[in-house]
Amino acid sequence: MRLTVNRATYEVDVEDDMPLLWALRDELKIKGPKYGCGIAQCGACTVHLDGIAVRACSITTKQAEGREITTIEGLGTPDALHAVQEAWVEHQVVQCGYCQPGQIMSAASFLSMHPEPTDEQIDQAMSANLCRCGTYPRIREAVKAAAAKLQGA
Amino acid sequence: MKRHSIIASAVELGFLSIAGVAFSHGSGDDQSKIDLVVNTPTEAVSREEGLSAWDRIYAVASHPRCSNCHVDESNIPMWSGPSYGKTRPHGMNINAGISRIGIESIPCSTCHMQSTVPNDIAHGAPHTGHAWMLAPVEFAWFGKSSAEICEQMSDPARNGGRDGDGLVQHIIHDAEIEAFIVWGFNPGGGREAAPGSMQEHLDDMVLWTAAGMPCPAE
Repeated sequence: MRLTVNRATYEVDVEDDMPLLWALRDELKIKGPKYGCGIAQCGACTVHLDGIAVRACSITTKQAEGREITTIEGLGTPDALHAVQEAWVEHQVVQCGYCQPGQIMSAASFLSMHPEPTDEQIDQAMSANLCRCGTYPRIREAVKAAAAKLQGA
Repeated sequence: MKRHSIIASAVELGFLSIAGVAFSHGSGDDQSKIDLVVNTPTEAVSREEGLSAWDRIYAVASHPRCSNCHVDESNIPMWSGPSYGKTRPHGMNINAGISRIGIESIPCSTCHMQSTVPNDIAHGAPHTGHAWMLAPVEFAWFGKSSAEICEQMSDPARNGGRDGDGLVQHIIHDAEIEAFIVWGFNPGGGREAAPGSMQEHLDDMVLWTAAGMPCPAE
């Protein structure tokens, strides 16, 4: 099966129903997407499929074939961070960090559809990415800052 | 009874378009099938028989597997299950918005994939062969009485423009693509199924519509 991840093409020999998260982490050694719950309840595994956030634990690898898969590793680079990543650093959002790749991927997808979100929209969009450290107030501020950056870009 | 058989195969689903982005999910190797038979009555169906069939339809429509996503203009889906006690709003602050597919904040499809593979994981976000979504707001069933749902379902202005045959065909089409009605009777993951079977539900819809869609008094 051929996968396109972060603009690179990979051949993987996996079962069609293997969750994409397994293919990314175990086969391609792309470890940014995290395993949290495995049942689309926590959001730690969030990646983009054609630019839209999905839970990689619950989509099969076959379903991702032929699509543009983007993980946190492909959103930005250390030298050219995505606006959401910049805002995350500036607002020191991260505490333990485990959920944050998923948070950032969800935020980036959300802002691509809602460039000027309300606080209510941000809270609704980001509540499905669980953070046991409770970083949600900083997440909200960082999403607003990222929205401003993207508007000015 | 006149019988004609409809074999509804699991088919690969088409596209869910969200804000211009096309989603096409499905493994393409699903071999599951649902066989439905339209048992058309050869004699007139009485009002009493129709009302009896409606009672069973209402038991399905008002069951949490169905009514939890037939909610009002709050656009908040509901959750029910043995671990929740009383039915409660969907966790994670979910609101599907006016779009009814969550495009205003987080699309339903972020977690609810479009797939016909079995829902066999407890507590996992369920999926069907149709893109996950709330029913249109005019189809609100949650918390509604039998009479209220009956009046809505029999009103083409509030049921998607369907006459009796259209309602029957709606069930058949659902089976063809393994959508929400199929899932309601076989939700998997330890979830309680809607009462009866899809065939019995289709039989009841045929009887009720043949009887002229009678509704109970309030």
